[in-house]
Order: sequence, then structure tokens, then C-alpha cells
Amino acid sequence: MLGPVPLSRRELLGALGAASGSTLLWALGCGGPVRPPSTPARVSGEVRTWLRDAVARLAAAFPAVHVLAVSRQRTTAAVDVLGAGVARARRDGVVLAVRERSGRWREQVTSELTQAGIAAAVRALAGASPRRASLELGEPPPLPPEPAALDDRALRERCEQITRLDGKLSSRIVYAAALVDVDDAHVWSISPAHDREQRLVRVRKQALRAAWNGTRPVVTEAERGWTGGVDDLDLPREAVEQATEDALLLMTPGAFEDKERVVVLDPPLAASLVDAGARALLTSAAARRPEVRRRLEAPPPLPAILAIADDPTAPGAYGGFQFDDEGVPAAPIALVEGGRIAGALADRAAGGSGGRGRRPGHVGAVEPAPSHLRVAPGAAPHAALRDEGLLLEGAIGAAVDPGTGRAVIGAARARELKGGEPTGRVYADVELAGDLFALLGQVSGVARETVALPYRDEAGGEPRWRSVEAPHLRTRGFVRARRRRA
Amino acid sequence: MIGRRELVRALERRRVSDWVVIERAQELALADEARGLERREARTRATLIVHQDVPSGRGTARLELAALEGSAADLVDRALALAAAAVAPSWKSVAPAAPAKVTVLDPALARADLAQAAAAALRGLRRPAGATASASLELLREQVAVQSSAGLTARWTASQLRAEALVAAGDRSLAVAREARRLGDLGLPAALAGAAADLGLSAAAGAPEPGRCALVLTAEAMLHGGGHGVWAPFAAHADAALERRGLTRYRVGAPVAPGADRADEPLGIASDGALDFATGSAPVGEDGDAIRRFPLIERGVCVGVGLSAREAARRGRDPNGGVRNLVVAPGTWDGDAAAAAARRGRAVEVRRLRALSIDPYTGEASLELLLAVDHRGGAARPFTSGAVYLDLVAALARARRSAQLIARGPYLGPAAALIEDAELV
Repeated sequence: MLGPVPLSRRELLGALGAASGSTLLWALGCGGPVRPPSTPARVSGEVRTWLRDAVARLAAAFPAVHVLAVSRQRTTAAVDVLGAGVARARRDGVVLAVRERSGRWREQVTSELTQAGIAAAVRALAGASPRRASLELGEPPPLPPEPAALDDRALRERCEQITRLDGKLSSRIVYAAALVDVDDAHVWSISPAHDREQRLVRVRKQALRAAWNGTRPVVTEAERGWTGGVDDLDLPREAVEQATEDALLLMTPGAFEDKERVVVLDPPLAASLVDAGARALLTSAAARRPEVRRRLEAPPPLPAILAIADDPTAPGAYGGFQFDDEGVPAAPIALVEGGRIAGALADRAAGGSGGRGRRPGHVGAVEPAPSHLRVAPGAAPHAALRDEGLLLEGAIGAAVDPGTGRAVIGAARARELKGGEPTGRVYADVELAGDLFALLGQVSGVARETVALPYRDEAGGEPRWRSVEAPHLRTRGFVRARRRRA
Repeated sequence: MIGRRELVRALERRRVSDWVVIERAQELALADEARGLERREARTRATLIVHQDVPSGRGTARLELAALEGSAADLVDRALALAAAAVAPSWKSVAPAAPAKVTVLDPALARADLAQAAAAALRGLRRPAGATASASLELLREQVAVQSSAGLTARWTASQLRAEALVAAGDRSLAVAREARRLGDLGLPAALAGAAADLGLSAAAGAPEPGRCALVLTAEAMLHGGGHGVWAPFAAHADAALERRGLTRYRVGAPVAPGADRADEPLGIASDGALDFATGSAPVGEDGDAIRRFPLIERGVCVGVGLSAREAARRGRDPNGGVRNLVVAPGTWDGDAAAAAARRGRAVEVRRLRALSIDPYTGEASLELLLAVDHRGGAARPFTSGAVYLDLVAALARARRSAQLIARGPYLGPAAALIEDAELV
């Protein structure tokens, strides 16, 4: 697997013809008016009727029933040196989940969000019996507000606005692009005990820069994501210009000595560490491994200044939701609190109350996963953390091995710090390695300013959305240069 | 639901210059022991590719459809609007070639109830003694139909399998994953047994001793993460569009790395999308072009690239379906790590990786070791952790390759490779 390149970059280069991997995006350029998705707004009530009927029929045959349906549309607009483009993709799906009296779960999934498609899926699970359980679901929930539809021209204009933000573009930038990516998902969750509906419009805006540094391309990006309207937030000018400056930064030749050092992680790196750690160790799926159970039974003490929670209710969070894909209403879960591990992310399969059962694209197989991880801010400004050691910037992937808890976090650059000031030495392509709990246990500073970062990856061709809000963190760990001779 | 025939009729009515319609009717079943879950899914996916010739060139649009509602005529109009707004220099599609003759369906799954087959396979799975193993198995069967304006019509049925398992012994565990076209090719019993053996080895594993060494990559390490594993840069760099733009190190006619053409056992790699039961095989590619076997590297020199229809037209060649399964030529090395240590003074035999990250632009990689054996002075000492950084393109171009072959997923090639000079950190 070609690991360190973020998916968004592949998508972007693919969409613009610089790579052959573009499959989701339709094509470049379309000035036609947008056609609103017909299913969600127009026939929401109709879909509910079909789903309630499915639940009634399944509840007559099985002790536990849950039906989840989604109508999803993705719109991606991109502008780069070659031109502009807008792509649209569409996906519907229905998941019927039942528990048999033996305790075994069965799921029937169909891509047909139609009366006939749902009825066929019900027959596959429950047979042709006409029996229906009586449901006391009451009035349906109010219809979620319809997001403003933007036509292709308007989306291209939003991309061009991002491009115009940058006053620091120079001829050394060999590639520059802007992206607006909107995932609009209308989700229904119905069981004999609840009837819920949500509209999640997840927006990402991104600026990408590439420049050559010696024999290597340096690719940087600025990104922001949220749930809400396309125009609710913008990429800050400073973030876009910082991406340009980072791409143009000249690196110090040679490498530094590999050793344990004090390091300050910038928010993307801190977010990357927390995200990889939570997914590898703090889920009910991870707890199936004996090593993870053992580590969590007697975890080392963590500093009291470190508090981490997963909060899907955070306003506007890219990974947020009103209910998870098992229909459980959103509520925050404390993961690290008061100097100890305080909780884990679970789905209902784990036997508890769940709350983080998430399906890729709302239709894939359920898995426990984070929504919006938050590292609580500290009291000090981030500049106050930069006294000695290295400032690590630019996350290029983090991996945490659930078996050993070992973490490796790649950073695009390391800036040397002395006496609270950068020395001017900047090293490319380094990594921080160590035991996750040791890295977290040695956190000695948490900045008060936080940055929220969106994550969108795919499993089995379906998207997974989450976000992490993190400040600068100061810790201690083994830092080494990645480039060696073979 | 819009069907393929409706789409074809709409395309013919609108006189589209060139088009391809690919329809996939898929059935999936998942059996998961840990979750006590049986999952069945039925879905239809369609791909519509249109090329519209206009005086200023050729416009192309590609639509991926997973929700087929509305009218076929509207969909074609939308595709034509997209194509008209994305006109590139003109090129002509070549006449369709015959689909590759390749078998991609497990006969045992041709008519089977997939959920029952998955459950039965897990029930009959041989588990290693002294360890527990919980597994999940996903089976996919798809009927694919391809039709093009040039007269190509192809239909086939394919199976695709993915198994994952967690093997635990005492307070240690290892995760394994396998992909194949046939149940028999998954090799899950052997994978579980190998994991159980490595769990035993890891119980005695110590800390790594940094330093220079010869590096032996065993199959599990070499193909870490599935797919092409450490060989992935060769597939990525042989993309014709990237190569034409100069975005890769790969240059047709030049050694893949300095000195690669003068190595003792010069590297040879071919792409073979017509390999029976390999996971990258298919009769026809994603653009409706016939898939062919073609060489990528011969005696250390880059000789071929994956050609889409457009790239093939630009180069006056026939499309080949792109890089699919990698077939790496075997070497003459006997795969003996201890003997390699005797020659070099030290050899580190990498049994499993914890993480493999590869820079797609350069082929530079970071290999995080999960379990390895340090062969030195006639002794073999297992250890865990440590890392190795490699320029994979250069290292593998000069590596010695085992004579023994393995076939796994989209890879057919040596079961092990010996990199003579590396540094363990």
C-alpha cells in the first residue's frame, strides 16, 4: 500500500488527470444546473413508511430489529493549473439488522432504496409471512432542514476563492490546487423502539501546494472540515499561505542524531497520534486482543493536563452525528481523564450500550470508531511550549500497533528549537517513535489554541468520516530521520 | 432502476461517438465469528464512459453509479454535458480486442449460497493447536457485463474472497488477512499456523540490536498489508500518465535504478492480468479495454507501462488494461537466512512487519518490524521492534530473489528476497 499520501491528494490528482486512479469523480467541467437529489427531500415520508413496514414485519419474527437507510450524494469541485471540474456521485442503501433468538445477528443489505427493494430484503430475512408487529413509534421526527443546493458554477467559484486567498504563490510552486468536497447523507434509523432521521452535510475545503526541494517533491496542504453549509466556514488565508511557505521551505542538508528528545507536535501531528491511538487501542474491537486488554487493565498513569474525549455532539464537527449507525443517540465519551484511561468506543455488538457503532458510508459492516476526538486545550499559548527540542510539523501518517502499543508518527519537517526560538535548521521527513502510553504519559505541555481536522478515508469503497480537534502538545520521544541509504 | 439495456438504447439514440457500459450485479456474504454476524448484500453498480468527438478534440466523461434512479436519457444527457465541458486533444479509440481468456470464478462458488458457503468454510477451518483463532470471511460473487459502441460484448462471473483472523496464544495475538479468488487459494489454515508459530517465537523475542546487516524479507513481510506489498512502487511508477508527465523515477529504456542492469540477478517483472484466479485478473479492464500480459522490467531495465485506451492512443499502441497482477521473476537464492548470515556476518530475517509506509513519488519506505530473527555467529535470536529504511526500487532491483515461488492475491513471485546491505535502527 502506498501509505503516506492522504486520500484527498490522490483524489485530487486523480480528478485532475495526474494519476490513473480516479473512479468516483465524474469528469471535469460541467456548467449545467444541479439536479437536486430526488429521494431525500421529496419522498422522506414515503421512505419512512417503507422502513416502518419493514421493521413491523421483521419485529414479528425476530426479538431485535434495526433498519438503517441512507441516501447519499457526493459533490467534489476542484480547480488547478489545468482547469476546473465538478464531479458528482450517488449512493443509496438500506441495512436490515436482526438478532435471532440464538443471539446471532443477521444483516440484509440492498442498494435499492425503493419499496420493492426493501420488501425483497425483508423477504430474504423473514420469509413471505404477512405477520406484522404493532409499533408504537408515534409521530415521525421533523424533517431535517434541506441544505442549499449549489450549482457547478457556484462550486467552482468557491474553489477559485480559495485560490485567490494566497498572496505568496511563486514560480517555485509547481502545482497548486483547491478543492471543495461535500458529502450529503440523509439517514433514517428505525427500530421498534425509535424512529430517527438526520441530515449530515460534511464539507471539506482544501488547498494543495507542491514544490521541488532538491530531488524530491514537497507536497503540503491546508484543510478545514465541518458539518453544515458550504459557506458556513472558510479556509483561513493564513493557513493557505502557510501551506505555500511550507512547500517552499528549504531544508537543512544532512540529518540529525537519532535520539530521545523533547518534541512539540503541531496540531495535525497531535491529532494524528490521538486518532491512531484511539482507533488501535480504545475500541471494543481492539479489546478482543489479549495484549490490549492487559494494557488497559493496568495502564500507566497519564498526566492530569491531558484530557481526551470523543464528542459527536460538538457543534459543526465534521465527524459528528445525532445518532450512530446502530441508532444510539449521540453523547460524549471520555477516553482519558483525571490521569487515567476513562473509557473506550464501543458498538452494540460489544454487549454494552454502544454509541459508536459506525458503518462505512452508513451501509458497510458496523465497527466501533471515533466521531470527533477532542484533546482538551491547556492554559498556555502554543508559543510558550516551544522552548527546547524539535517542533514537528506536517503529519504524514501515524501507525499504532495494537499488539505492542508502539506508535510511529511521520512528520514532514522538524524545526530545531533553542532558548525558545527556532535555530533556522529544518530537517525533512522525520518520525517520532515510542510506546503510545509513554508518549502520552510524557506530555508536559498542552496549548490553549486548538485546530479541528477532518479525516475522510474509505473501507470497502465506502467513506468513513471523523475529525480530531487538537492543540500543540509537548512531549518526549525518540526522533529519527527517515532517509537512509539502503 | 436504470438497466444496462436502457442505457445502451439511450446512448445509441444520442449518437455518442464512443461509449462503454459496465454493469456489475454483486452478491456479498460475510460470516464473522467474533461478532456472531451473518451479513448478505445485493447491489448493482454501473459505470458509463462516454467519449464525444467535437471539432476541438475529444471530450470524456465517466460516471460511477450506485443508485440507479431516474431516466437513462437524462443520465446520458448529463454525461454528454460533462464530456462537452472537458474536451482534450483528439484521440481515436482502437478497435476492440478480444477479452483476455482468464478464469476468475471459484467453481465451488458458482451456484452456492454465499452465506452458507462462508459459514461452512469457517466451521471447517483447521485451527492451530495451542492457540485460539477467530475469523471472518467475506465472499463476493459478481456478474459483469460490458458493452461498447465498437461492438465489444463480454460477460463473466467472478468471485473475490477476503478472510481476516485474529490468532491468540497466551497474552499475545497476531492479525492475519488473505485475499483470493478461490476458497482453496486463501491458504487460511497455513496462515493461522504460521501466526501461531510466530506467536511462540515472539514469546522469546528480545530487543533489536541496531547496525548494518543483510535483510531477508519473508513472504509475510514482503506482502504486508495485502496487494503488492513492498513491490507496490513498481506498479505505481509504471503508470503511463505519470511516466509521461515525468512524475516518477521510471523511464522506459533506462535501468529502474542505477546499476540495476548489471546486478547478479537482474530484476524481471511483468504485469499479467490474465493470470487464472489472481485477484488482479479480469477479461476486460475498467475502461472496457482488453487486458494483456506485458513486461514492465526486463533485466533491470524499464520496458513497459500500463496503457489505458487514451494513453495507448497517444503512443500509437494497443491498450493493455494497466498494471494488474505483478509477476516477479524468481532468482536462484535458496532462501536460507542462516547461510546469508554466514556470508555477510549478519542477516536479519524479517518475519512480520508492524507497518509499511512507502513514499509513492520516490519509492522510499519505512519498514517497522514486528518480529524478526537475528542470524549471527551461527545463532538465531528472535527480536521484536526496530525499523529499516529502504529505497525500495533500488533495494529490490539489486536484491537476490528466492527460487521458490508463491502466489498470493495479485502477486506471483519469489517467496523471499535478500537485500545485501541494510541498516537496522
